[in-house]
Amino acid sequence: MSMLLEVDGVTVTFDGFRAINNLSINFAPAELRAIIGPNGAGKTTFMDIVTGKTKPDSGKVIWGERNISLLGMSESQIAMEGIGRKFQKPTVFEDQTVRQNLAMALKNPRSPFAVLMHKKTPSNAARIEAIAEETGLLDSLTRTAGELSHGQKQWLEIGMLLAQDPRLLLVDEPAAGMTVEEREKTTDILKRAAQTRAVVVVEHDMEFVRRLNCKVTVLHEGSVLAEGSLDHVTSNQTVIDVYLGRAHA
Amino acid sequence: MHKSFISQNPSVLWFLAALGLFTVIVTVMSEATGVGLVSTSFVKTLGKTLCLCLVAIAMDVVWGYCGILSLGHFAFFGIGGYAIGMWLMYARTEGIVLDSLAGQPIPATPQEISDAIGNQIFGVVGASEFPMIWAFADNLLLQLLMVVLIPGLLALVFGWLAFRSRVTGVYLSILTQAMTLALSLYLFQNESGLRGNNGLSGLQNIPGFEDVSQAAISLAFLWASACALGAGYLFFAWVISGKMGSVIKGIRDNEARVRFLGYHVESYKLFIFTITAVVSGIAGALYYPQAGIINPGEIAPIASIYLAVWVAIGGRGRLYGAVIGAAFVSLLSSWFTGGGAPPINLGFYTVLWTDWWLVLLGLAFVTVTLFFPKGIGGLFDYLVRKPS
Repeated sequence: MSMLLEVDGVTVTFDGFRAINNLSINFAPAELRAIIGPNGAGKTTFMDIVTGKTKPDSGKVIWGERNISLLGMSESQIAMEGIGRKFQKPTVFEDQTVRQNLAMALKNPRSPFAVLMHKKTPSNAARIEAIAEETGLLDSLTRTAGELSHGQKQWLEIGMLLAQDPRLLLVDEPAAGMTVEEREKTTDILKRAAQTRAVVVVEHDMEFVRRLNCKVTVLHEGSVLAEGSLDHVTSNQTVIDVYLGRAHA
Repeated sequence: MHKSFISQNPSVLWFLAALGLFTVIVTVMSEATGVGLVSTSFVKTLGKTLCLCLVAIAMDVVWGYCGILSLGHFAFFGIGGYAIGMWLMYARTEGIVLDSLAGQPIPATPQEISDAIGNQIFGVVGASEFPMIWAFADNLLLQLLMVVLIPGLLALVFGWLAFRSRVTGVYLSILTQAMTLALSLYLFQNESGLRGNNGLSGLQNIPGFEDVSQAAISLAFLWASACALGAGYLFFAWVISGKMGSVIKGIRDNEARVRFLGYHVESYKLFIFTITAVVSGIAGALYYPQAGIINPGEIAPIASIYLAVWVAIGGRGRLYGAVIGAAFVSLLSSWFTGGGAPPINLGFYTVLWTDWWLVLLGLAFVTVTLFFPKGIGGLFDYLVRKPS
């Protein structure tokens, strides 16, 4: 099976500190993957590289069937290629309504002129409503995003990702600050999304990762330490030493 | 589609109605109709104020909506004034020169005429040759084109360089101030070709309308300014109403997020920066014929800062707020600095408002920023708040 995203031998150094050290990691077109690792393992830097925010010192990042390199592309170009990113802290546009937030994210032409001349269409409205229903925000469409609860903001941001219709979703700690019920719902949304596209979840919370029930990649000091099912990696002695050992300490 | 835009933005209709009513009332009470309750010079002040309101809504769009605190939009305003001033001055001087040469037995050659006009205009800076930039000054249409082209191109080039280097926030503000200062200092030079610190004058005399009274001309400019403000308001209200408004407000609130949504943020900033510069140029081209004179002092960095102060006091992020702020503060300013406010004698010290007005304005700015971030326009929120 050909890979959707191939990260090959990537290294990034910040002031002499190797945030990412010869990292190689691949993702299939439709899979759910969790990335775990202690603080400073390079999880966020990995996302920064894939989304074009950080340029690596060496290595390759190859995307899609056409095997194009994402290095050297701008953030907006990469987003248009089909990579969506959800930040750790929910970043929705708080001054605008849920509907406006989703409309902005909806996959449509992005040039200033196209946006200026943009007209509301029934098909766009239907797509917005479908996504709102999927993320449980159908009743909140006219509300200002700033009024939403923390969990709802997280879902809105996931909804905005889905509205972009990306082929790869990078999701940074979606469960942070959520109640148990909210976590369950988030898990369901992510699992359903992963049926048709690749979803990569960076998470600290082991319970949440267990609930995702997917392949897990453990990062440590900027490279892959172990990969496999959660039970497989948690029984790995090195993983226990560097990550779980510290977490339980 | 147009109908739904108006119905979704009722404040636009209210504004246009108020603007129309204001213009009609001033017209009826002006000297031109014989009522004379409003003097011609005050009609000009009001007409100029409408132009300031127009540049203020442009400032509100670029700052209040797109989050770019440009401290250089008054430079575009001044450039518009210079562009129209060149034609006004050239055409009027040409008329005077031709009249004075008319009685001579041997008709003057075109070269002699051109020299005479050049002498008249540039004698004050010790020159008589027309600089390159006056190449189109004899053509009203081309010079009107300059009113929009020069501010537009300058904004496009400046914005392209600044935005693509991802200069944001206070650094961008400083850059725009530097641009304004550089332009102002350049124009102060006699070699700039625009008469150095003398600037362009006599702009209130419109060539071809020498027989029309200033009372009538002032009304014509009042109406032109009102139409420009109305059109500008409608245009900007449309720009910010739909998805474009969503995106630029998104850029204001979280630029990086908009980028990750796939929008090319720099293009949007450049678009907003440039169209607001063009509108500022148009506002300036209407303002200076009413002021009668433009000189490099008008483009001084402080003018652009005042513009930001007006918008902040009026309430940024709402177009009518910018209009209220510009009208209120600029009229108050001319009242205080023009000797309208009586001096306050404290016995040991006399408060002269020409000196103390700036202190008052500064205090008002600080107070509004700290305690009423929504500005005067924010008061309307209390009026229209639905009972909950």
